Amino acid sequence: MAEQPPIPPPAAAAPPQPPRKVVLPPHRERAHRPWRVRAEEWVRRNLFASPGQTLLTFASLALVGLVIAGAVWFVFFQANWRVITVNRWLLFAGGFPLDEKWRLWLSVALVFPLIGAAYGMWASLGRRDLLFIALAGAFVFFLTAHGDAGPSSSVWFAASLALFFLGYRVCRFVPRETGRPRTLAVRTLAALLALALPLVLIVLMVGGGAQASQFGGFMLNLILAPVGIVGGLLLAVPLALGRASSLRAISWTCTAYIEVIRGAPLIGWLFVALFILEDVISSPLIVRTMIVLAVFTAAYVAEYIRGGLQSLPRGQGEAGHAVGLSHLQTLQVIVLPQALRVSIPPIVGQAIGLWKDTALISIILPLRELVGNSRAAIAQAEFIPDRIEVYAFAAVLFWIVAFMMSRISQRMERAQGVGER
Amino acid sequence: MTTETEATTAEQPSANGADRLAGQPDIIMTEGVDKWFGDFQALDDVTLSVKEHEIVVILGPSGSGKSTFIRCLNRLEEHDAGRIVIDGIELNEDVRNLRAIREEVGMVFQQFNLFPHLSVLNNITLGPQKVRRMPKLDAEQLAMELLERVGIPEQADKYPTQLSGGQQQRVAIARALAMRPKIMLFDEPTSALDPEMIKEVLDVMRELAESGMTMLVVTHEMGFAREVADRLVFFDEGQLIEQGTPQHFFESPREERTKLFLSQIL
Ligand SMILES: Nc1ncnc2c1ncn2[C@@H]1O[C@H](COP(=O)(O)OP(=O)(O)OP(=O)(O)O)[C@@H](O)[C@H]1O
Ligand SMILES: [Mg+2]
Repeated sequence: MAEQPPIPPPAAAAPPQPPRKVVLPPHRERAHRPWRVRAEEWVRRNLFASPGQTLLTFASLALVGLVIAGAVWFVFFQANWRVITVNRWLLFAGGFPLDEKWRLWLSVALVFPLIGAAYGMWASLGRRDLLFIALAGAFVFFLTAHGDAGPSSSVWFAASLALFFLGYRVCRFVPRETGRPRTLAVRTLAALLALALPLVLIVLMVGGGAQASQFGGFMLNLILAPVGIVGGLLLAVPLALGRASSLRAISWTCTAYIEVIRGAPLIGWLFVALFILEDVISSPLIVRTMIVLAVFTAAYVAEYIRGGLQSLPRGQGEAGHAVGLSHLQTLQVIVLPQALRVSIPPIVGQAIGLWKDTALISIILPLRELVGNSRAAIAQAEFIPDRIEVYAFAAVLFWIVAFMMSRISQRMERAQGVGER
Repeated sequence: MTTETEATTAEQPSANGADRLAGQPDIIMTEGVDKWFGDFQALDDVTLSVKEHEIVVILGPSGSGKSTFIRCLNRLEEHDAGRIVIDGIELNEDVRNLRAIREEVGMVFQQFNLFPHLSVLNNITLGPQKVRRMPKLDAEQLAMELLERVGIPEQADKYPTQLSGGQQQRVAIARALAMRPKIMLFDEPTSALDPEMIKEVLDVMRELAESGMTMLVVTHEMGFAREVADRLVFFDEGQLIEQGTPQHFFESPREERTKLFLSQIL
């Protein structure tokens, strides 16, 4: 063969070669050692590297241990969870008519697969997520379905969870890399998510369902926050474009809106919904609250979108014009899609913020969302000592939703910038 | 103003193919075009006519107004004085005129400016579909033909950031051609490219020139200018200083500034 190495010189001429040692790059080398050794090394390096660090490690361990022990003690031995099981309808649904329970469950069964799908599209269920879902599911299940008259709630809840995983599985089949199939899938899911809210409202209200004024408890938070976010987004786009406009009157108006709204806390604007807005728009308080939430969110989201607009190179719009697109078309198909994509992470952050802020509502308004009805629950003579149980329960419910939102947004952020700007 | 020097256009047979342009109508006509950026005058009384099928290469030092001039031709910049008439359509405030002109004029940018959120195919089909209301399938077929023409049909489903610079610029050319323009403007189409990719783009432009496209090209590629251009135009400090055949330019430039520029660049 032509490519054979040259014949080595006689052994006498060169000293015998030592056996060849395989040199691995450092990280490979480490991976070759048994996990026990690696674990030891990790512990030594990250927890006990110096006397000071050792001290801190033990101090933190002690603190965490104390907190966990205290929490476990409270949850299993001290707390009186009857306050939750007795009041669970109040906490979850407020004044929603009990006979129409199926409407609530049907809504849950509609929304869960979509959340699962969003998870599947942008995140993946790691061990941590599964543990979280199992715990959260058990928690909610125990407090909602436990002790129910019939099996119906358990069945609904189990079915909803199954649908969650179904949505997740289906979306795992969508390819991860950008391309036509993924674009199509993302668009379909976005459309379904956008439709979910009106659909839920129809399920709840149409055909002898509940009145809007009967909405309450956790369900009210779950309705108000998405309305605020979606409404805020819709308002924010023209606001951002208006602020960037070259027409002074328009840009000043939009700037004034944004700065005024951001200049006062949400709680102040909720006062406006209660006292002032009524004279302007004669509508139920819940609608006025929705308007305020949307108007408030829009001011912040508009600024994020403006950031996205500014991050685009000028050539993008010019290229659109050069191929003959009108100003509006250029905005619609070139500028906005890119600007929105860039501003998704801060918008999700804003959404999580608004979600938690819905807890403020019942402080100002006579709308009984979860926190308001928590207070109602402990106003009952029997449950006066059970404050902590009720508020801890409310906090966990808030946290479950916020945690899922932040998980999905983290993954979305990481997934960005693959074949896209 | 330099009205006198402008008159020295060498109306001789062009270097490239005798008087192949004889009798062709003027498709671009500018007259006394001024452009100001604040107090800075970027274009000063530019008068230039381009015949149909003519290849004009614009030369000039950095900041001389070359980009500004060709960007005025499709109103990416608005000119402040003078007239611009393209294929008989006056370029002015009238939006219908502007739309008609932009449909006839394609542009290729130094930085490609492809749409990063759209696939290569959709970058090309966007104009025909949105502006010409072409059905999707027809637009896609046209896009594939054009990708074939610029030599990268296999990249249709990729995204711009997945392509090399040369490939991106060829997609940008295909995108402009998809509108079936009568005129193509090129603003330093190879300046952002690595040397080994310059040729693939210039080859596409050569082929386009041979097919009879009217082209205005800002470039520093002197080989291309010498070989392909019917006429060279030299800008300095916002003024059109000198124009003529490549032969005229490379052998006996008249203006001092032209000589200086050419001595630096050649
Ligand atoms: N939008 C703008 N605002 C202010 N000044 C500008 C603007 N665009 C261009 N100019 C100025 O106008 C002059 C001409 O610019 P132009 O881009 O046309 O030059 P050019 O000949 O294309 O140069 P180059 O070879 O560097 O591309 C430059 O001095 C530039 O600074
Ligand atoms: Mg330039």
